Amino acid sequence: MPKQLLFCLSLFAGTLYSQRAATVRDTLATPFLERTEFRAGYFGNFYWNPGLALGAEYLLQQKTRTKEKKRRTKIITKQWLANGTLGFSWDPRAEFGVFTNYGITWRRTNTKGKQLQVQVNPLGYYRSFLPDTYEVNGDDVRKVFLPGRSYYAPSISFGLGKRRDNKKLSGRYLNITYSIRTPYNADFLPAIAIEYGYRFKFKKKP
Amino acid sequence: MNTTILPKLCLPILFLPMLLTSCSQDDLDDLSDTLYVRHKGADMPAHLYGNASESVFLIILHGGPGGDGLVYRAGTIRSEIEKVCSVVYFDQRGSGMSQGNYSEEDISVDLMAEDVMALVKTIRYKYGDDSKFFLMGHSWGGTLGTAVLLENQDAFEGWIDVAGAHNAKGIYTEYPKNFRRVADEQIRLGNTVGYWEGVQEKINAIDTLRFEIDDFYTMNRAAFVAEGKLEEDDVIKSIDDDILGELTVTGLFKNNPLTTVWSGAQTASILVDDQGIFENLSFSDRLNEITIPSLVLWGEHDMVVPPVYAEEAFNTFGSEVKELMIFQESGHGPMFTEPNLFANKVIAFIEQNK
Repeated sequence: MPKQLLFCLSLFAGTLYSQRAATVRDTLATPFLERTEFRAGYFGNFYWNPGLALGAEYLLQQKTRTKEKKRRTKIITKQWLANGTLGFSWDPRAEFGVFTNYGITWRRTNTKGKQLQVQVNPLGYYRSFLPDTYEVNGDDVRKVFLPGRSYYAPSISFGLGKRRDNKKLSGRYLNITYSIRTPYNADFLPAIAIEYGYRFKFKKKP
Repeated sequence: MNTTILPKLCLPILFLPMLLTSCSQDDLDDLSDTLYVRHKGADMPAHLYGNASESVFLIILHGGPGGDGLVYRAGTIRSEIEKVCSVVYFDQRGSGMSQGNYSEEDISVDLMAEDVMALVKTIRYKYGDDSKFFLMGHSWGGTLGTAVLLENQDAFEGWIDVAGAHNAKGIYTEYPKNFRRVADEQIRLGNTVGYWEGVQEKINAIDTLRFEIDDFYTMNRAAFVAEGKLEEDDVIKSIDDDILGELTVTGLFKNNPLTTVWSGAQTASILVDDQGIFENLSFSDRLNEITIPSLVLWGEHDMVVPPVYAEEAFNTFGSEVKELMIFQESGHGPMFTEPNLFANKVIAFIEQNK
C-alpha cells in the first residue's frame, strides 16, 4: 500500500512538473493600463429592458501554456481578472434601472483567440427609478422624490468572446447573465440578460 | 481614438431617464399616464388611458391571482370604453410590474383591498377630488373587488362584476357539478363526445368532500382546456384575430414577461397554497351588503368560475340598480369573445350611473 501511494504521489508530482515546464506565469510588473481592459456593450433582455453596460477588467493572473504540435503551436491562456461594471437598463413602461457589480472573471483563450469566460459578481447593487410615485399613508398622499428601490443584486455570467490582436477594439464578447434582485416583493426577482459588446484598452501604442 | 468611445456611449444614458418620465400626457381627452402607488411596502403601477375629461375612472382589477392590468387593454375596452372614461389598468401587489419589500404576510386580500383604496386616493390627489370611480373585477379581481366594496363602496359609483370569484371556496365543489352539466349537454349535442366522456370519468374520480389543492389545480386547468374544446365546437366564439394580436403584443411586449410571470406565480402561490383562499374564502353571505349600482357580466359557458355564481351575485346584491347579462357565446372572457356587446353594456352602465 505505501508503495502504491508513493507511486501515485510521484506521478502527480511529475505531472505538476511537466505542466510547469510548459507554463509561463504573468507577473504584476506590467503597468496598470496595460493590465486593464475596458468594455462597453448592450445589456438587457431583448425588447423588454434594453440597456448598456460599461466595465473594466484588471488582470490579476495569467498562465500561458504552449504545446508544440506537428503543424502548429497550441497556446492556451487562462486569466483571472477582477472586474467592475456600471450599467443601466430600461423597462419602457415601468422603470429605469441603474446597476453596478464587482467580482472575478475566469477566461480561457485559445490559439485562435476564441474565448470562454465565467464571471461571478457577488457584490451587486441595482437601483430602480420609477415614474411619478405617490405614497399613501392613511388619507395622506404625497409625491415621492426620486422614487424607486434599491436591491442587492449578485450575478453570474457565462460567455464567449474573441480576442482581436493589434486592434483598437481588443475583443468582443457575448455573455448570458443571470442575476437576482433581493429583497423583491416578498422574495426575490430573477433576471436573465444578454450582454454583447467590445473590449478596448486605453494604453498608448508603443 | 479609443477615448471617444465612452462619451458616445454616455449620451444615451443621459437621455433615457427623460424618456421614462415622458410617458405622461396632460390632454385629458386622450389621457396616457403611468403612475405608481406606494402603499405599505409595495410600489404598484397604474396605467391610465382614455377620456378623463369628465374625471370618470374605471379601475380594472385583474384576474389570477397574479395576472396583470395591461392584458385587459385590448379589443373594445381600448377602442370603445376608453372613449367614455379613463380606464385604469392596475397591477396588484406582487403582480405584474409591482415591486417592493414586504413579508409574505403582507400579501393578503385585506391589504390588497387597501391598496385599491390607496389607488383611488392617489387618482383623486392627482386628478381632483371630483373624480368618480367605477370598479370592475374579473375572475380573482371579482374576489378582490368584493373585498374592496365591503369596506369602501361609497367611494364608487358602480361595480362591474365580470365572472368574479366572490365565493372562491365554493368553486371547488361547484367544478364537478358544472363539468357534469356541460359534459352531459355536449354529449347530447354530439360535440367531441370522447373528450367529454373522459371528463366525466376524471371528475367522478375526484373526492370533492375533502379539499385537496392538487385536485383544485387539476380541475382549474381542466376548465381552461374545456373552454378550448367548446371553442373548437363553436359553442364559445373564437377571439377575433385583431384582439388576439393585441393580446399577444400586450403579453409579450408591454410588460417584461419574465418579471410578470415570476411575480405572479410567487403571489399566486402565497394566496392559493399558503393562505388557502380557494379553501377558506367566501363573501357569498355578505353580498347583500353591496348596495351601489351593480352590473354582473358572465359567459354562459364559463368553466373557470361557473355561471351559478352570476345568479348568486345578481340575486344577493343589495343594490336597487342591478343588471345581469349572460353572454351566450362566451366562456370566462366575454370582454374578448363578445367585445361589442361587452362594451355596450359597460358604457351604458357608466353613462347611467356616473
